[in-house]
Amino acid sequence: MITVNGNRSEWEEGLTVEKLLARENYTFRMISVWIDDRPVEKKEYSTKLIPDGAKVQVIHNISGG
Amino acid sequence: MDMKEMKLLSEWSYEPAKIHRGYARETLYVGLGNKDGNYKFEKRPVSDDMIEKFTGGRGFGLKLLWDAVTEKTKWDDPENELVIAGGPFCGITQYPGTGKSYTVFLSPATKQTYNSNAGGYFGPFLKFSGFDALEIQGKADRPVVVFIDGDNYKVQIFESTLEDNNAYYISEELHDYFAKDEQDKRTISVISTGMAAKTSYIVGLNFSFYDVRRKAVRLKQAGRGGGGTVLSDKNVVAIVVKRTKFTGAENDPVDIEAIMKAGVSLHKRIHDHDNEQCKMRSVGTAHLTEIMDDYELLPVNNYKFGSHKDINNISSDEYAKLFSQGMADGCWYGCSLACAKAVDHFPLQTGPWKGKEVVVDGPEYETAAGLGSNVGVFDPYWTIEANFYADHYGFDTISLGTTIAWVCECYELGLINKEHTHGLELTFGNKKDLMELIHRMAAGSDDFVVATGKGIEAAREYYAEHYGADLEVMKKIGMVCQGLEASEYRCQESIAQWGGYFLTLKGPQHDEAWLIFMDMVNKQLPTYEDKAEALYFFPNFRLWFSLHGLCKLPWNDIEPVDNSIKYKGIEAARVPEHLNNYLTIYTAITGRPLDREGMILQSERVYNFERIFNLRMGKGTSKFHEAPDRGLGPVWEDEWMARPDYFDARLKEFGEEIEGKSVKEKIALLQKHRRSQWAQLKAAVYKRRGWNKNGIPTMKTVKRLGIDYPEVVALLEKHLKPEDEFEDA
Amino acid sequence: MSACSKAWFKEDSPALSRITVENKATYPNINVCNQCGACIEVCPTQALERDANGVVQVRKDKCTSCLMCVGFCPSASMRFNGTKQTEPFKCISCGICAKACPTGALELLTTPESK
Repeated sequence: MITVNGNRSEWEEGLTVEKLLARENYTFRMISVWIDDRPVEKKEYSTKLIPDGAKVQVIHNISGG
Repeated sequence: MDMKEMKLLSEWSYEPAKIHRGYARETLYVGLGNKDGNYKFEKRPVSDDMIEKFTGGRGFGLKLLWDAVTEKTKWDDPENELVIAGGPFCGITQYPGTGKSYTVFLSPATKQTYNSNAGGYFGPFLKFSGFDALEIQGKADRPVVVFIDGDNYKVQIFESTLEDNNAYYISEELHDYFAKDEQDKRTISVISTGMAAKTSYIVGLNFSFYDVRRKAVRLKQAGRGGGGTVLSDKNVVAIVVKRTKFTGAENDPVDIEAIMKAGVSLHKRIHDHDNEQCKMRSVGTAHLTEIMDDYELLPVNNYKFGSHKDINNISSDEYAKLFSQGMADGCWYGCSLACAKAVDHFPLQTGPWKGKEVVVDGPEYETAAGLGSNVGVFDPYWTIEANFYADHYGFDTISLGTTIAWVCECYELGLINKEHTHGLELTFGNKKDLMELIHRMAAGSDDFVVATGKGIEAAREYYAEHYGADLEVMKKIGMVCQGLEASEYRCQESIAQWGGYFLTLKGPQHDEAWLIFMDMVNKQLPTYEDKAEALYFFPNFRLWFSLHGLCKLPWNDIEPVDNSIKYKGIEAARVPEHLNNYLTIYTAITGRPLDREGMILQSERVYNFERIFNLRMGKGTSKFHEAPDRGLGPVWEDEWMARPDYFDARLKEFGEEIEGKSVKEKIALLQKHRRSQWAQLKAAVYKRRGWNKNGIPTMKTVKRLGIDYPEVVALLEKHLKPEDEFEDA
Repeated sequence: MSACSKAWFKEDSPALSRITVENKATYPNINVCNQCGACIEVCPTQALERDANGVVQVRKDKCTSCLMCVGFCPSASMRFNGTKQTEPFKCISCGICAKACPTGALELLTTPESK
């Protein structure tokens, strides 16, 4: 089990950042991802594995109208 | 050019002030008399205290309006004013987004003060002509054009010979009239409204600039609050300013190099990264439509739903195809974010200019959603035409969209019918009749459209009285507060955004706080204290732009690439690098130091002064900060059933059993729980803002801010009650 | 760089030169406008235009000193320096630097793109 923005969420073997974003339907372009309080660079999204028990934050940097 | 030569009614010459460190230190007062032709002109000094406490822009506007009216003044009394002011940044050319000005007035819709933001060239040219603000008071005895000639230092009042009183016609004719030749047209800016102003309260002001590439007038809007209604009530057809010469250092800054460096660095960032961020240069604010849809935030059918299967019709890709690309679309020089998109050669299908090919300014996101998804229309061509006529007639596209959305729901619920509407079938998505409704509202051609044009709060009283429509139901579904219709975001699922809409100074306009993602998606504001802190910080932070002549888009609609990696949590949302640019440039212009605390203090003074001003006008207390049911959650079964698992889960979070309950029961329960959350939010926010339980700034707060003027203290002494104090304030 | 800044700003200063030559680990890095014209469409007042020789000129009477051209130049060759003027400035192919170069390393060329 992992948490995503504070919500409990399923973990699975081979869960990359990219897979997680697709699963949560986080489609917004300007996001930043933090795993256990460490930032993940965009270029690593398809390869970075999320460990079981991790605290994941997907921050949407949206400014609004 | 069509128009005949105008007769000069009055003229006044002046010695222009020299701008020093961002300020002219003089304001212009134009008195129109009281329908008696007694025109009056005055230069008024700006005191040190006025700069210290009110800074500029909206602050100056509120201060000057306070002095001009009493607590008894109504919006259509001659004493009401339109006050237009930019601020110390206004008119610099090097940094994006520095041409804005605010128009402050007593609003016909909200019955308190309103302040409305616009781009275009008027603010800078007014300042370069020697004035930090313009006050227009009184009522002319005939339709007039006020001309501020910043080249020859004269103010003139002409009898208008304009035959069509709509914005594009007025603006095009007057750019022509006052320009020597084609080249000269860009030295002019025109403020105008449209014919809707004669009968409707949801009518704003257009501020022009001349587009040298398109060889056409472009319009930006100070759209909200009814400023156009006030202009029309004063019998002013247009306010024109002309200013030819200005340098890159016209604001007389202390350190021009610092400004140039900051400007170039942001131009470069926008060049390199706008396309992968907000696409402002190619799509403008309309890039938001599909994003809002993905997160259930797009208003569909009067905010009932947050997404729709036809979203791709109105996506940013679709609009990118319709907007002309590669144009220098900044609404003041130096804006490389250039979000002012336009559709060229658009053939109008309806209305008085049917068949004409026009340049349409927009649509902005608000119009794409408000005169689009919110009224059930997913046809960009319809939206573009509605946008054009709304601008031309003077309508605020937000209030127009939200009002029509509400009207459609009233119609579909059977609260009003075809007889009441004089034959119009006002169902969601009925493109033909909804467009016809807009034309009729502009013309004020029957009782139904005149009532509707007053906005939701007034219209529902009329429908109740004349059509027997159920007032309680109309109140539940009307997205309106303090007399102003909500703008085009669904705030239902974000407690913080309930506050961002319904705990604001002027009504549910999102310029105070836009916290939906921070709260609902990022979950960065888990407690009421966190939400209250955000609803204290961001309104004050965003108000700062309104004091200075700044557009907020270049602050956070473009970010340094590493912004959200370098900074954690909410600090990233402040975009520290850009925030620091503003502090640097402020000092580079004025020579005075400024840090973040100083920034918030400048804002907090004006924020609280505006609150107190509204109290003075009989509003500004807790009872006016109310949220409609539709703003807090589903009202009808179809809304719940669009996302049954989601809403069931929300109800379970309150410890409710969902087994055996009907949808109607569940809706009522969720509303009950959310009302309780709303009450807790309100209390937390009022406390954090230094207000009492009734939403009134405390004496301690006004003293801390240095706005404890005798009139303010006297007013507060009348309204502050000991039982309304927070215990540990 | 001296020749350029002295000719156009009457001062010997690399910060005022329209061509910059730097030593990058013994290799010369020369940055100067190649008249590509990408800046022309960015200017809000159309103050940038090609003259009869195809050279992109800054028309000071139209320029508002917004510096968008500086930020948008693909080769970072549009210059600015607030000590002298608020308008940006660029190489206009006058040839003074080419003449001044003691090794003849600089040359004015006419290319198809710049016409």
